[in-house]
Amino acid sequence: MAADVHKKGGDVPNGSLVPKDGRHAERSESPTPGLAQGTEPGAGQEGAMFVHAQSYEDLTSTENPDATVQIPGGREDAQSDQTKIEEISKDFSKLSTQLTGIALDLEEEMRQSKEDKQDLSPKASRRDSVLSGKEDEGVSMDAWHMHQKHVFVLSEAGKPVYSRYGSEEALSSTMGVMMALVSFVEVQKNAIRSIHADGYKVVFVRRSPLVLVAVARTRQSEQEIAQELLYIYYQILSLLTLTQLNRIFQQKQNYDLRRLLAGSERITDNLLDLMARDPSFLMGAARCLPMASGVRDIVSTCLQQAKAKSLVFAILLAKNQLVSLVRKKDQFLHHIDLHLLFNLISSSSSFREGEAWTPICLPKFNSSGFFSAHISYLEQDTDLCLLLISTDREDFFTVSDCKRKFQDRLKKRGVYQALLEALHTPFYSVSQVGIPFLRHFIYKSKSSGLFTSPEIEAPYITEKEKERLLGLYQYLHSRAHNSSRPLMNIYYTGSHENLLAWVTNAFELYVCFSPLGTKAAAVSAVHKLMRWIRKEEDRLFILTPQTY
Amino acid sequence: MSGQRVDAKVVMLGKEYVGKTSLVERYVHNRFLVGPYQNTIGAAFVAKVIPVGGRTVTLGIWDTAGSERYEAMSRIYYRGAKGAIVCYDLTDSSSFQRAKFWVNELQNFEENCRIYLCGTKSDLLDEDRRKRGIDFHDAQDYADEIKAELFETSSKTGQNVDELFKKVAEDYVQFTAFQEMTEDKGVDLSQKTTPTYFYSCCHH
Repeated sequence: MAADVHKKGGDVPNGSLVPKDGRHAERSESPTPGLAQGTEPGAGQEGAMFVHAQSYEDLTSTENPDATVQIPGGREDAQSDQTKIEEISKDFSKLSTQLTGIALDLEEEMRQSKEDKQDLSPKASRRDSVLSGKEDEGVSMDAWHMHQKHVFVLSEAGKPVYSRYGSEEALSSTMGVMMALVSFVEVQKNAIRSIHADGYKVVFVRRSPLVLVAVARTRQSEQEIAQELLYIYYQILSLLTLTQLNRIFQQKQNYDLRRLLAGSERITDNLLDLMARDPSFLMGAARCLPMASGVRDIVSTCLQQAKAKSLVFAILLAKNQLVSLVRKKDQFLHHIDLHLLFNLISSSSSFREGEAWTPICLPKFNSSGFFSAHISYLEQDTDLCLLLISTDREDFFTVSDCKRKFQDRLKKRGVYQALLEALHTPFYSVSQVGIPFLRHFIYKSKSSGLFTSPEIEAPYITEKEKERLLGLYQYLHSRAHNSSRPLMNIYYTGSHENLLAWVTNAFELYVCFSPLGTKAAAVSAVHKLMRWIRKEEDRLFILTPQTY
Repeated sequence: MSGQRVDAKVVMLGKEYVGKTSLVERYVHNRFLVGPYQNTIGAAFVAKVIPVGGRTVTLGIWDTAGSERYEAMSRIYYRGAKGAIVCYDLTDSSSFQRAKFWVNELQNFEENCRIYLCGTKSDLLDEDRRKRGIDFHDAQDYADEIKAELFETSSKTGQNVDELFKKVAEDYVQFTAFQEMTEDKGVDLSQKTTPTYFYSCCHH
């Protein structure tokens, strides 16, 4: 690995600051010694609520079985063809900004390193790059072409399952081409991962019996796009379970899955929208609603006391922010499952009427079965939504009673008003930190799986600007978590802002400064910021999670 | 809301997009929401108290999702129901076929459940008669055959909606009164349900 880093480090073109700083970090010139995991600001005092997860864990862990299928050999080819590939990629990339240039080069590096490791023949991927030109055939509308990112889901028989834009029927031939590409490479006992051409990344994720494809011209790395596709895959599982999905396609290979997914397009659309603007997905963590720790503790206790035998998780949330989470002892939620639940709730306003009782699969917890979820808002006009996850689908009235008990307790202990007040200020201003030039930051505590982030303020006012900022974070995140050459410290200088990333075993910190600040100032500001987060941690995080 | 005692379980069944949720919306909140269609996820429960001849009856209404995805679990929603409102879209004949499916299901698994056939969106017919997809007499014949009541409603205008639920509640009262007269013992309402169902909701 270390040798790899040096070799690649030398290869990096266009003398940008980023890789230099990467090597900088390797000499461990980090501003302060990293904290041990579990002692960082935001770490829970009594253990975590979530499964410990690493960035891109699904991608890295499930790629290995793929690798075993692939034939060895072609390794020498990989070495000799490397330069050719680089040339080809340069031909393809008509790059306007330096940043995309770096990002694309990074893509290239990552792809190659994967190929090196897994003996994926570069010949195959080059051939695919050529083939990709045919993909645009059959789609005529201009507006359709303008979208930043397309997402397609198809069955292995090539039948359309989902498309982000346009109707699935109209795209059936396009999807046929996609399936042909996948099968074409598979015939040679290989797997297609991505095509990079003309500023586009076409990313394939194969999760039998489904194939997921994204066509993107965002700044995201291939890994990030693949991660998003996995979220879509898990979203489908959450509606059907993997067991049912497998059974359906075993019985009938050319089954039209849209029949079963009817009405769920809105949920999937919403998930894609959410991923484009909510850093929770990028961070693989949940954001807490900031509130006084005393209030939160009482709320958690009330929630814990309103228990029932069949309850596994009880989650109180407001606008995709966590207020409290109680879990059965020894049962941990995965952040992906939590994000899917958040997305389900935010995608439908119908939960505001009455009480919903719906089967739901939490695919990372158990992809073979359904839980029953009781979903209701505490009051029709508040954003406080209570989610009670039960193992017993017959238990509606018992679970419904838990909600009533919880509400009664909240009012009896006088915290309901305080809770509503906390809802008025769902975000804090970055000015509270008191650091000049500081515009925004994201801080994640790894051991608790929680992150905090102030409101995005000027100059990031428009949606486009907000997404641009998130795009910069995505870029830093992908560099920090690059599987072949992870970086601990990154300082990025742009014309509109300077960013700093600092990733340790215990936490991840991404900070955005105004372009007028200096690197030295940024480094010292990070210390101040860490002290501030430590000081405020009991307000910003859930430090004392409850269990049944 | 949930702590209330529920006298009669009523389940809404029918193909997606026939307007089951709108019907419940109109009846419970007396409103009609205009906006993009939102399919129900799983099922939604809401309780409504209705006065019937000097007493009150609490209807526990289960508004189920019409999507095929949830078909396998529909039984938990209609099990032990006293009444089932099987909806079809008056302008969509395929939804009537789907209604027949639900009627068969109920006849096979829930024979004590009274069935109410409900043709929805009648306001669309007021605009244009030719939109009707199911002949009234055909529907009436079918209703007679399965011993069901037939209603044609509009959640947009409110036409016939209160009448429908009132009939459900009245039939429930009449039915239990009849049972009380003819049987020595009181009626065991939870006969067809798992005991915890009623125990838990009556217990507070």
